[in-house]
Amino acid sequence: MSTLFNANVIEEIDREKDKWQETLYQSAEVDKKVFETLSGLPIEPLYTPTDTSQMDYLNDLGFPGQAPYARGVHSTMYRGRTWTMRQLAGFGPPEETNKRYKFLLKEGATGINGVFDYPTLRGIDSTDPFARADAGRGGVAIDTIEDMRILFDGIPIDKISSSLVTCQPICNITVQSMYFANAQIRNVPLNQLAGTSQNDFLMETAITVAPEILPPKVSFKLSCDAIEYCTRHVPRWNPISFAGYNYREAGCTAVQELAFVISNAIACSEELIRRGQTIDSFAPRLSFFLSAHSDFFEEIAKYRAARRVWFRIMKERFEAKNPRSLMFRFHVQTSGVALTAQQPLNNISRAAYHALSAVLGGAQSVHIDGYDEALCTPTELSSLTALRTNQILQLETRVTHTIDPLGGSYFLETLTNKMQAETFKLLEEIEGMGGIVKAVESGWIHKEISNSAYEYQKSIDSGRMPIVGINCYQMVDEELPVDLFKVPETLQIQEKKLKKIKKERNRAHAQDALDAVARCCEKDGNLMEVIIESVKSRVTEGEISLTLKNSYGTWNPPLF
Amino acid sequence: MSNGRKRRILIAKPGLDGHDRGAKVVARALRNAGMEVIYAGLHQTPIQIVNAAIDEDVDAIGLSILSGAHKTIFPKIMSLLKEKGTSDILVFGGGTIPKKDWRELKALGVGEIFTTGSDTQAIIDYLNKTLER
Repeated sequence: MSTLFNANVIEEIDREKDKWQETLYQSAEVDKKVFETLSGLPIEPLYTPTDTSQMDYLNDLGFPGQAPYARGVHSTMYRGRTWTMRQLAGFGPPEETNKRYKFLLKEGATGINGVFDYPTLRGIDSTDPFARADAGRGGVAIDTIEDMRILFDGIPIDKISSSLVTCQPICNITVQSMYFANAQIRNVPLNQLAGTSQNDFLMETAITVAPEILPPKVSFKLSCDAIEYCTRHVPRWNPISFAGYNYREAGCTAVQELAFVISNAIACSEELIRRGQTIDSFAPRLSFFLSAHSDFFEEIAKYRAARRVWFRIMKERFEAKNPRSLMFRFHVQTSGVALTAQQPLNNISRAAYHALSAVLGGAQSVHIDGYDEALCTPTELSSLTALRTNQILQLETRVTHTIDPLGGSYFLETLTNKMQAETFKLLEEIEGMGGIVKAVESGWIHKEISNSAYEYQKSIDSGRMPIVGINCYQMVDEELPVDLFKVPETLQIQEKKLKKIKKERNRAHAQDALDAVARCCEKDGNLMEVIIESVKSRVTEGEISLTLKNSYGTWNPPLF
Repeated sequence: MSNGRKRRILIAKPGLDGHDRGAKVVARALRNAGMEVIYAGLHQTPIQIVNAAIDEDVDAIGLSILSGAHKTIFPKIMSLLKEKGTSDILVFGGGTIPKKDWRELKALGVGEIFTTGSDTQAIIDYLNKTLER
């Protein structure tokens, strides 16, 4: 028992609690229902000091900005600096998305959060026969450095930070290189650039499982190349954002989300150390991207547990010294799968609750989903409403005034401890398989995610998990109360630019650039160093990806 | 099951979009309901899908589309099926497909659309009922 508690008092509380449970609470009646978190952790009707009596305040909670960072990574938290309002945007050709970026910045967004279309994420040009129907869908189309120039035209990239949702390393290695090359052309030194790229190999090999992708080991290598490059040359850039959000969207539970991002980060750390880096040279820039799902308290507990798990691993396993290496910093996006296509305006309330959990959990930046997420790409109105929801949360609710306001709650602390224990357990299991890359190669992770997604659907279908508008309070013949977004013409615009570039560019230079990439693959060099130069010769993303696939071969992941 | 054979269903996700949670969950639900499911996964082109449907001798094709490209992809698949003389294969769809587009798709011969929020049992019931005929 912690010295904070008196054993006699705890005993008395337990006795009184038993009495309460037997007389006032009448548990037999109520407990026929199952009470558990969204991830299946059991929930008691009431928590008391007994549940937290084993906790040691200074060791387990401490102070914000201090080990073990349970209460927040910064000493002043939102009193000093509020979270970044980073609203995701991207659609059509870069000309159109550039306008949306400027609109959001004008309306008070404090950072860019750019998402790329499906062909770009897969490393394919808009004009590829395989890509044409998807050009400009799900994000903005980027084929060459010219598109990157247009995308950020008139946006002060030396002052504001940009998050590039590149997802897969095959996309990131070229698109992030284009961002850096474009900065060099604009005379912005790389060491002035601030931002984040997603660059997560699980996105390529375990989350969106497509045929003929880069093998896990290669995708992992590309991801580490970008981390290594940024560690050397772009010190203010977060070269990876472990995309737990997307793992969750694909079906993971909160515990899996946490364990998978952290085991991925462990693997990257080991690889970077193997390449001769010290832990404190890159760990301060490892960043995380988590979901805010519907179980309010479980999500808050998840963020708090994440900070403590990360701290322990960095401190004990990697012996990191720099306090920034020990800090679990994360961006949150409100859950997309929790939203409904039915009665879409209800999603405004859902996303607001989701975002509140992120903020009570101490997030560094927050994106709130548009109410039309389950129907289409957000319209200008739904993007603006989401941004306003973020601003209302930040300015009107006063949740920013005190740090970790729910810290000390018997329930929340117990749940945080439970999340931590479950995460360590799963981390150990993955460790036993030889780490995350092995867990992907064997298909274990695919199966785990698929099982969780199926269980989730079953609980909706059975009505065990009520969702308003889906399995209760449905409306028959509902009139859609919102306008749907129409993706602007993309293919023709991209085709025209690509044609012109291919005609005008120096063919020999372009070929040399691709040869340099192929040579780099052969000698296992750092590809980002080479690709930043290559894209300046106006080779396309598709040409670079093809060079990589020709050099490394492809992999067909297991289908579950 | 009138002819004693298990129903064979091809579930595929055309295009480059990676949102495959729905397709996988539906594949699993149909399998658990006793159907034979061929899950083709992501990045399938219309011709690959139609060829797979014919090779695997399926009774129905379920297409999951969340990218908004449904108005390009469904027509292609329907006309390829016609071309190959296999219009008897039932085609149904799911994903992010606005209601206002349903009539157009159904006019092409698409059997039913199940959007986000559909109960998997409704899909099973629909297939059992429609394939009975």
